[in-house]
Amino acid sequence: MSKLIMRGVSKAYGATLALRRGDLTVEAGEVHVLIGSNGSGKSTLCKVLAGSVRPDGGEILIDGKPVTITGPHAAREHGIGIFYQELSLAGHRTVAENICLPDMPGGIFVDRKALEIRAARYIALFETVAGEGFSAEAVVENLRADQRQLVEIMKALATEAPITIFDEPTSALDRAQVDRFFDILRGLKADGRSIIFISHRMDEIFAIGDRVTVIRDGETVGTENIADTNPAAVIRLMVGGQDELAAGASAPPAAATDRKAAVLKAENFSGKGFANVSFEVAKGEILGFGGLHGQGQSAVLRAIFGANLAAGGTITLGGSAFTPSNPRTAIRRGLAYVSGDRSRDGIIQGRPIIENATPIHYLRQKLQLARPAALAARVKPALEALHTKFGGLSHPINSLSGGNQQKIVIARWLIDRPDVLLLDDPTKGIDLSAKADLFSLIRKLAEEGMGIVLYSSEDAELLNNADRILVFNGGSVRRELTGADRTRYNLYQAAYEAA
Amino acid sequence: MTATTQTQGRAPSPMLTFLKQPLVVALILIVALLLLGETLSPGFASAQQILRLLIVAALLGIVAAGQNLVILGGREGIDLSVGGVISLSAIIAGNVMNGADSAIVPAVLACMAAGAFIGLINGMGVTLLRIPPLVMTLGMLGVLQGLLVVVRNGIPSGFAAPGLSRFVTQPFLLGLPGIIWLWVAIGLLMAFMLTRTVYGHRIYAIGSNEQAAYMAGVPVRAMRISLFMLSGVFAAITGICLLGYSGSSFANVGEQYMLASIIAVVFGGTPLSGGKGGYTGTMAGALLLVILQGILTTVHIDESGRQMVFGATLLLLMLFYGRGRAMRG
Repeated sequence: MSKLIMRGVSKAYGATLALRRGDLTVEAGEVHVLIGSNGSGKSTLCKVLAGSVRPDGGEILIDGKPVTITGPHAAREHGIGIFYQELSLAGHRTVAENICLPDMPGGIFVDRKALEIRAARYIALFETVAGEGFSAEAVVENLRADQRQLVEIMKALATEAPITIFDEPTSALDRAQVDRFFDILRGLKADGRSIIFISHRMDEIFAIGDRVTVIRDGETVGTENIADTNPAAVIRLMVGGQDELAAGASAPPAAATDRKAAVLKAENFSGKGFANVSFEVAKGEILGFGGLHGQGQSAVLRAIFGANLAAGGTITLGGSAFTPSNPRTAIRRGLAYVSGDRSRDGIIQGRPIIENATPIHYLRQKLQLARPAALAARVKPALEALHTKFGGLSHPINSLSGGNQQKIVIARWLIDRPDVLLLDDPTKGIDLSAKADLFSLIRKLAEEGMGIVLYSSEDAELLNNADRILVFNGGSVRRELTGADRTRYNLYQAAYEAA
Repeated sequence: MTATTQTQGRAPSPMLTFLKQPLVVALILIVALLLLGETLSPGFASAQQILRLLIVAALLGIVAAGQNLVILGGREGIDLSVGGVISLSAIIAGNVMNGADSAIVPAVLACMAAGAFIGLINGMGVTLLRIPPLVMTLGMLGVLQGLLVVVRNGIPSGFAAPGLSRFVTQPFLLGLPGIIWLWVAIGLLMAFMLTRTVYGHRIYAIGSNEQAAYMAGVPVRAMRISLFMLSGVFAAITGICLLGYSGSSFANVGEQYMLASIIAVVFGGTPLSGGKGGYTGTMAGALLLVILQGILTTVHIDESGRQMVFGATLLLLMLFYGRGRAMRG
């Protein structure tokens, strides 16, 4: 009998179907790898199992018995433990306290002695590889990133759950720490425990996994024995039949661009989260940034725009050197940046649509007075270019849908055209028709001579719209895809290659 | 959410109706309080008394304009040092002019420069050193109070020029003294600035979403510093006028304005979280507070009692607007 069976699990967020049909069968005593591209639904599947998301449909069986997981607490009672990718540690508390956090010993008052004894058991597992300054009494926020990740792992191990989910547990660890962690996992396996392991590193998957389940577009497409497969076959499974979609008729021919007319050039550009990134964007070109989430794509764009600090390298804009310092200077030099996180970086809540559309115009034209009629004449064509639906320019931006809000944020860059448009996952959380409007506009802007950098976490968007794609992996450019090479297979292969 | 989701085109926006509401409430309360004052003490609502109330309201309204700007700018913006600036300004003005009309202009310039300088220090502390405005301006208030004790040793000195006193107390145009016209002019300027200038739009932008404003090229730090400087200048103007009103200056003359200016702003519909509201409401708020103060005086409640009532009023207002603030956050 299988330890865990998930069958036909589905989950929709509003109109977005995050998980269509998630199937997963995990045996006792195995490390089961879960893999899928950005937004494929593997995280949702794990969240359902961990009780942080309630599924819309499907069934879950543990030890052959159907269960309903109503919340994180219920998940623990069913014997499910989880390592979270986003660190969930209490920064001001000690290592020992964090390890025991899910299940503090003692009643109302914490039994410190029991706590220390329990924590010591897990700390000892990593004693030789944890590095300087790591101890039971160390305060978590003073630890290095890899040490914090170790605490997170220890915390998951301390649940002693029969089924433990590890969602990208090794991203910050060094080689020795990973080896030690894998040894521990093998020990757990021998004890008959089940491990669900999510990783994007092919080498790790093939080093520790027993079986691998591939999820694509919210659907489980297959489960293979690791021993019977290879990385190329796994990637092919992830790609499925979608390759035609990319290189087919809908894909743009690489724009006829004059490579000499580079509007933006980065050489050995480095900063927090990325290193030695070099690329050129020509006039009229859409350059795609691809790869898994958080491999430095967004960090590079923000650093060029001056919103994040850059540490080294050079940026050339329209043939002359440019030192990013803040968005204001970048805007003056003809750069534009659209963030996918519009509620944080984009919209000015509670203010009229017109005020949300004009800040760049104010700056570029050095305006002091805001004449409503003159501004409206500028704003309206920009909003129409994106087919924005709005009641009146004086209505607050909050009265619009997410897609229309994002259109207004983009429209503010269209009044005084920039030379280079940096798009940082601009379609996050917006509807399909808004996406279509956005991409047809982007192509038009490129044809009119703008240089465009597009980072998208949706691979299809990238493959369908970018003339060239730089695949990021571990903070640097792993591969450049041009012409007929712009396929999903190549994209995944570069993205999942060992960093 | 779909592309077709959007609100129907109601003529005034929901925000505008929200802003209007406190204003309407304030105006009704003003009339009600005047009537109450008249019943408690006949003559309270006489033309002469109302004129006096208007002058006192103008004194408060001018300092509240600066307070309003700092609060609108968001990020817990508040200026607790205005009372100290008012006292300092009254003393500088009194000593520079010392009864001579010819020295009014240099006195005014000196006071405004002092106010702007104190605002500059406040603004730099808040932006460059990242000290919370509450702490920064409270510290500044302490420094100013100490300074006043050292410089003046509690003994009054310096007095208003006759021209200044006339400006504040004697009819100038249509039977109203100059200070009321000054207040009206400030009201018009503030309304114009907040709705029709880029600077005004940027105040709302940093108050509503500082990060988004920064990403759109708004010079957030310079903006915030300038708001504190304006607050210092407005407080200085109130200080000068206060000298003209009372004839001579004495230490801590501005003390009561700290709390009162904040209440006027909040009552006028600008939440302490900033990013929305405006000055028109604040003007009504100032008027209201002054009438309330007048009533408390006629029923023989002394200064400490009045301060207690003001404090309680602020707490009540926070309670009243609490729901709206929570929705914002």
